[in-house]
Amino acid sequence: MGKKRKRSEKAEAVAVPKKDDAAPERPVRTLLGWKDKNETEVKDNEDSHSPVFRNKEKVLVTCSRRIIYRYRHLMLNLVSLLPHCKKDNKVESKETKGATLNELVELKNCSSCLFFECRKAKDLYLWMAKCPNGPSVKFLVSAVHTMEELKLTGNHLKGSRPLLTFSTNFEKDAHWKLLKEMLLQIFETPKDHRKAKPFHDHVFVFSIVDDHIWFRNYQISVPHNESDKLPRGGLDKMTLIEVGPRFCLNPIKIFGGSFGGPTLYENPFYVSPNQIRALQKKKKAGKFAKKVKAKTRRKMHEMSNPLEPDEFADMWKD
Amino acid sequence: MELPMVNGDTMKDDETEYLSEEISPSESGSDEDVKLSEPSKKAVNNRDALLDKLGDISWPENVEWRHKLSIDIDQEQEVDVNDDLARELAFYTQALEGTRQAFEKLQSMGLPFLRPSDYYAEMVKADSHMEKVKGRLLDEKRKMEEAEERRKAREAKRLSKEIQAQKMKERAKQKKEDIESVKKWRKQRQQSGFADNGNDAGKVLDFEDGKVFERSKKKRPGVSPGDRSGGKAKQAFGKGKKQMKRDSKFGFGGKKGLKKQNTADTTNDFGGFSKKGADAGNKKRKR
Repeated sequence: MGKKRKRSEKAEAVAVPKKDDAAPERPVRTLLGWKDKNETEVKDNEDSHSPVFRNKEKVLVTCSRRIIYRYRHLMLNLVSLLPHCKKDNKVESKETKGATLNELVELKNCSSCLFFECRKAKDLYLWMAKCPNGPSVKFLVSAVHTMEELKLTGNHLKGSRPLLTFSTNFEKDAHWKLLKEMLLQIFETPKDHRKAKPFHDHVFVFSIVDDHIWFRNYQISVPHNESDKLPRGGLDKMTLIEVGPRFCLNPIKIFGGSFGGPTLYENPFYVSPNQIRALQKKKKAGKFAKKVKAKTRRKMHEMSNPLEPDEFADMWKD
Repeated sequence: MELPMVNGDTMKDDETEYLSEEISPSESGSDEDVKLSEPSKKAVNNRDALLDKLGDISWPENVEWRHKLSIDIDQEQEVDVNDDLARELAFYTQALEGTRQAFEKLQSMGLPFLRPSDYYAEMVKADSHMEKVKGRLLDEKRKMEEAEERRKAREAKRLSKEIQAQKMKERAKQKKEDIESVKKWRKQRQQSGFADNGNDAGKVLDFEDGKVFERSKKKRPGVSPGDRSGGKAKQAFGKGKKQMKRDSKFGFGGKKGLKKQNTADTTNDFGGFSKKGADAGNKKRKR
């Protein structure tokens, strides 16, 4: 009893001066409210979890102007998968990074942003950023299959909270850990969100293969009668049906700030699609020159080694 | 996943652009992606700053699992990116394993997590879309079934041809035997000098099988030998044979008035009067 009192007294003593310090200057705003307030709260309730943790994640989803149909459908699919997102109008392609987007996010009162940038009507880049200070990542998106494909036959509740699965590769390096945390926060619907539906009937898969992040979305179908208990053999009879969009993310760079800032990580294996195309063109470019060279070479060779006159050359001459 | 740490942990604000060196012409088979054959030397990897940022953004440690709902699954073996089936299988098993663990946790928490069958709410794909999906699946099934049926029909036809050939042979054989046995019997009778005529029913034709001579049970309609359709063709205007017979007996109905008067063609027509009096039984039959 005595020990407990002492502890709380200490905490209070610590808390009070801190609050005084914090009052004049504007404290840093993070997910849990003001940063130092959060720290004191955590110290106060050491035995139980912080009661005020509320996931107030809001994602702003936008795209650039010249986006093509396939990527637009992908964006719309993601919008339907994330009930905690806000879809906004297209943004101009110039000056998209930096100020404009950050302002937009602030305006809409969102805490993160998914920005789909389509270049040359061929390549899709996805920017994933935590605003206002958070890190941001630029991905190259490939292998896109949208939900409208008839081969993906599953379906699930719109707005139900997904289960997320990450492969353990995400723990292998610092940048993967950061990416995992960002993916978790952006893709997981907040627990008490207005539009969230109660049951869990789909699962997201994020897995790292060949240094790319692969995304899959499956519907869980398990024969059951009651909604909070699985039948006897339920777990064995569970099947997964693929629902949702499929895509593959190739991280290019991680920045310290939102849509800018110091580069924290670069993917050393990344080759931009422009360079790939240039390379392919180069391979084809030399064809004609090579042909001409081969011709001249043949001529030289013929000149240097003349043939002997043919015996039968005059046979058919008149 | 070892990256060359050229810049080291000490440099924080390094913004060198990476140079793409030695892009090998051997491109990997994956979609539009080419990896550098050796990692670029100047790539930044600032692990400390990354972990710092991670600390900044992450949720507090003691957040309930219910907020996160995330499971980490161990990926057993390296999956080859280009092998589609193996890759998808790996993802599937990861999802399955994750769901199992998650469901166990949820069940132990005692919260409802399975959707009841009567819970109707907006789904992520519209009903019209699901109709299309269903249509496509049914189409596929039907195509497969049709292919199966066609194959079976071909087989059956082949088989039935063989069977038919056999049957024909048998029938021919049977016929031959019957004729043979009749001939034999005749000979026998001849030899025994037509002794018992109608007296003894015991010497009736003795068939080899001991079967009594009986008409084939198959109903074969009375076919005329010139009728190549086997009696099954329908006559003009769809009238059956019955109707035709009745017609020939009772006339065609309709106006009776001028039926018995001669017309231009029938004046000199003496075809009906024949010496032999054919079909004398049916006087009323119109010629």
